[in-house]
Amino acid sequence: MGRQAGFIISKILELLATLFLVSLLTFVAFSVIPGDTAQVILGPDASQAQLDALRSELGLDRPMIVQYLSWLGGLFTFNLGKSAAFGTPVAGLIAERLPVTIGMSIIALIFVIVISYPLAILSARRPGKTLDQIFSVMGHILFAIPPFALSLIIITIASALFSGFRAGQYFAPSDNFGGFVGCLILPSFCIALPKIAMTFKYMRSSIIEQNSSEYVKNAKGHGLSDLRILVKHVLPNSNVSSITVISIVLSDILAGSLIVEQVFNLPGLGRLLLAGIARRDFPLLSGMVFYIAFITVLLYFAADILGSIADPRIRLK
Amino acid sequence: MKDPRSKSFYIAGFILLGIVLASFILSLIWTPYDPNATDPASKLMAPCAEHIFGTDNFGRDTFSRVMFASKYTIFISFAGVAIALLLGLLTGLPAGYYGGWTDRGIMLLSNSVMCFPGILLALVAVAVAGPSMFNVVWALGLVFAPTFARVTRVGTMEIKQRDYIMHAQVMKIPSPRIMALHILPNLVGTLLPATVIGLANMTLFESGMSYLGLGVQPPDASFGKLLADAQAYMTRAPWLIIFPALMLIIYILGLYFVSEGIRVRTQKGGV
Amino acid sequence: MENIPEERIRHIHLVKVHDLTLSFPSAKGEPAKPVLDKLSFGIRDGEILGLIGNSGSGKSMTAYSIAGLLPANAKIEEGAIKFRGKDLLSMKPAERRKMLGSDIGMIFQEPASALDPLMKVGKSLEEILISHGIKDKAERYNRISDILSTVGFATPEKIYERYPHQLSGGQRQRILIAGALLLSPKLLICDEPTSSLDSVTTVAILDLLRKLCIDMKITILFISHDISAVKNFCDRVIVMKDGKIVESDTTEDILMRPKNPYTAELLTNARLDPRKLELTPAECDRTAEPVLSCKDVSAAYTASLWGRWDENRVLNGVDLDIYPAEIKGLIGSSGCGKTTLVKTLLGLMKSEGTINRKSDNTGAVFQDPVSCLNPSHTIMWHLKEALRPYKRQMSKEDIQVAIDNAIETVGLDRGYLNRRPGELSGGQRQRVAIAMCVITRPKLIIADEPFSSLDASSAAEILKLLAKINREHQVAILMITHNIHIVRAVCSTVAVMDAGKIAEDGTCDKVLNSPESDATKKLLEAENTLHS
Repeated sequence: MGRQAGFIISKILELLATLFLVSLLTFVAFSVIPGDTAQVILGPDASQAQLDALRSELGLDRPMIVQYLSWLGGLFTFNLGKSAAFGTPVAGLIAERLPVTIGMSIIALIFVIVISYPLAILSARRPGKTLDQIFSVMGHILFAIPPFALSLIIITIASALFSGFRAGQYFAPSDNFGGFVGCLILPSFCIALPKIAMTFKYMRSSIIEQNSSEYVKNAKGHGLSDLRILVKHVLPNSNVSSITVISIVLSDILAGSLIVEQVFNLPGLGRLLLAGIARRDFPLLSGMVFYIAFITVLLYFAADILGSIADPRIRLK
Repeated sequence: MKDPRSKSFYIAGFILLGIVLASFILSLIWTPYDPNATDPASKLMAPCAEHIFGTDNFGRDTFSRVMFASKYTIFISFAGVAIALLLGLLTGLPAGYYGGWTDRGIMLLSNSVMCFPGILLALVAVAVAGPSMFNVVWALGLVFAPTFARVTRVGTMEIKQRDYIMHAQVMKIPSPRIMALHILPNLVGTLLPATVIGLANMTLFESGMSYLGLGVQPPDASFGKLLADAQAYMTRAPWLIIFPALMLIIYILGLYFVSEGIRVRTQKGGV
Repeated sequence: MENIPEERIRHIHLVKVHDLTLSFPSAKGEPAKPVLDKLSFGIRDGEILGLIGNSGSGKSMTAYSIAGLLPANAKIEEGAIKFRGKDLLSMKPAERRKMLGSDIGMIFQEPASALDPLMKVGKSLEEILISHGIKDKAERYNRISDILSTVGFATPEKIYERYPHQLSGGQRQRILIAGALLLSPKLLICDEPTSSLDSVTTVAILDLLRKLCIDMKITILFISHDISAVKNFCDRVIVMKDGKIVESDTTEDILMRPKNPYTAELLTNARLDPRKLELTPAECDRTAEPVLSCKDVSAAYTASLWGRWDENRVLNGVDLDIYPAEIKGLIGSSGCGKTTLVKTLLGLMKSEGTINRKSDNTGAVFQDPVSCLNPSHTIMWHLKEALRPYKRQMSKEDIQVAIDNAIETVGLDRGYLNRRPGELSGGQRQRVAIAMCVITRPKLIIADEPFSSLDASSAAEILKLLAKINREHQVAILMITHNIHIVRAVCSTVAVMDAGKIAEDGTCDKVLNSPESDATKKLLEAENTLHS
């Protein structure tokens, strides 16, 4: 118990240190590197009076450290100030766009797990045989297709084949939840495909590795059936080692959705990000970047903790 | 004992890469048409004898534009990987070799950078610095550096355990020399597949950024930029999507196959 | 006669293997060289039969054929295996699987990884009982407790709750034996069960197996590549080579009067007998100032979890003196701190206490001939690199002469200078490693088990070489080894390490013939049982 508590405490400290660094990096990237934010927002023709007014409104006339601390405080109270481009609070803008991004990530993760695990188990049964080879080559090909290019190809082909096919429809979840989920399925699938390939490849080699391990040989020597060995020994061990991979996959899916929603014209975080970039809306961008990184950090943290709970070698000594 | 799979991966990989590299090398001396020459008379032509990949909304020859774009795609991937590899070595070697607080500091920094989804970090860097090819190159180099740092660090930690490094320490060889001459040559086997994979991932990122309009800027073009330009015409002119997408996939797939070949060979051959 | 059920007939042979031929046909269907070639032998009821051979001799495949655990691409071309009269090869896979565990038990080589790391060992054992249809939970628990105490655990209920990583190698091997015996099989197949254990643990495991063989009336098939391991253990031995039986006889006859030259060769190779080498180490003067002197040296491995220090103290006040031109042996069972002491003496690890070195120049030769040289560079580069600290004071010609002398001293010719380590044999690499020491003319060489992964003839050559260097260059050598014969043959003094301390230190004669400490006694006893 003492060891596990120590491990979790050390991971929490690491999490806090990472979050601090992440916030610092974000702040530096948006407040220090670009130079004068007021100038950036108002453009080169702004008068000195206009600049001064905006500076004091945004709090830019305060020392850097004070600006950083107040921004940091804002992060935790969801009070990030107003977006320079939209004129509304940043937190509200993000909350408004969140359902699409979260929805796509969840659907894509379901695709990944539901498709890759059974295929990996099937493939690892007889490694090197025809079925395994077909799956593996397909995996390589899927892995190499950028999701946005795949989306474009699918839309191109589908609209050539079916005259009624229309991409880019969107239903708000509050109006029509079924329609909302429906319009997310194809984009989620496109994001999921390369990740299905990645998870398949990892799980397959993990199962094969476990199958050739000494303890499986030993269990066979005790007369356990192949199915029982798979369910009781091989899969639990593979799952423990795949926790980290799943956390990486999920963060990749989140990042991938930023681009793919552009193809399907969906109002998610990616569109907001691009709008922010186009209008150089730094308050909006810094908030979004921090929160997305925050989610990623939490994912990795959760994977570490889950892994330590599942693996007695970390849990106990 | 060579695994026969490694050979078939190499053959497939080099054929695919060959297609893209050939179009790149050829584009330096010759393209069927000037890739940037517009021709209002032949707008959005379907593939035909004169324009085998068709033309775009300005009447530019798609075949020439694809050849032209291969140059930028290939350049950005190689330049970005070179920067990432250099940064990765400069941080990963000392982190793995010295361990302790050096390791912890470097790894905390690299983990923090890795917490930003790569594409987000690259987009933001370009957003702050302004979109241009050189900004894309260093932004991607920076984004990928932690990956190389990790690979280098793990490899270094492993080689550090070998007796010949202990020998070198007993012989009082200075640490920088141990890292550069005793460890680095033995890391080639691990870094090579990572580098080839890095090229492929770099291309994935670059194409995504160019697709969003934050990568290569006109009049330059990369495969991703061609796809972005074509999206508005995708129902009327599917060839504008299909050919650049195909070339992009061929390049990435070729790189994956080559790296897989290396990986399979070194795994079975036991270096 | 025909009406008597098969099971009631008393068989002299528990297992009878007849004309067994096994091969690995290639995918293209070309005929492959058989791995087992018309193999015939019997295992008598109640005996311990040793199956000895080098790797590739087919001994493991023989065991897997009997157990029914052959790899998928293996093919039995002809022959029969009978277990208590029943033909195993004609049985259905499911039936054979049921026999595993209940009629035939197996133990494998690697106790470190042979248990599921995520499962409590009790649960792992319970899986076996569930698979063999024992549904009553209380019965399962009782049977597991019983078998755990049979294999020597005083508190089975505590062991039941442990995870594999919480147990030592010897304990894990006991768990595996418990698992194999859980359903009281008639035959126990042991595939090199002790090859990764140290000598003290090996003796304990072999004692346990012998006891179980008698108490539970089990027959044992014991597979090993090491002919000396069967010595005080097996009743009968079969020697195999290239899938055929070379010789089979009682253990005593095989060891004392081998009829086949191959068996004789195995016997001589198994044991490096340094007494025959007639080594003459240098005379050493123990009144001179020591080249290396340790006083109360301690060292610990620490791992910190953000401020919480985990300390694992490995050295606990070591006192050790090495005098000029002395060859000192350092022995001890695994985990006693030998390797840590070497690292500390070489300055690769921080330590407390005082270490006085007469000169900074200490050479080192390590255990593993594979990783002792850098695979990326030539032998020439290695020797030049060794001279780097002295390069300033040397001319180009001096360096060349030094390199030529060094390579000649270790008995290699100059042609090797341009080769890379990959092109050299294990013995040759160790020679290069020694050349790298000699070239700097050190006063002390620390040799950390330099023979343990070499075959007997290369080991003998390296030993001769070290003795020659000691004599001709008056270099002191600290020789870390687990082989007491080497100590007897070449060392003038010996120190015995135990639990991070020097338990005993003195002349070979005194320490090895009239040991005072318990650690030395235990070590000598185990060595004698296994190797004398």
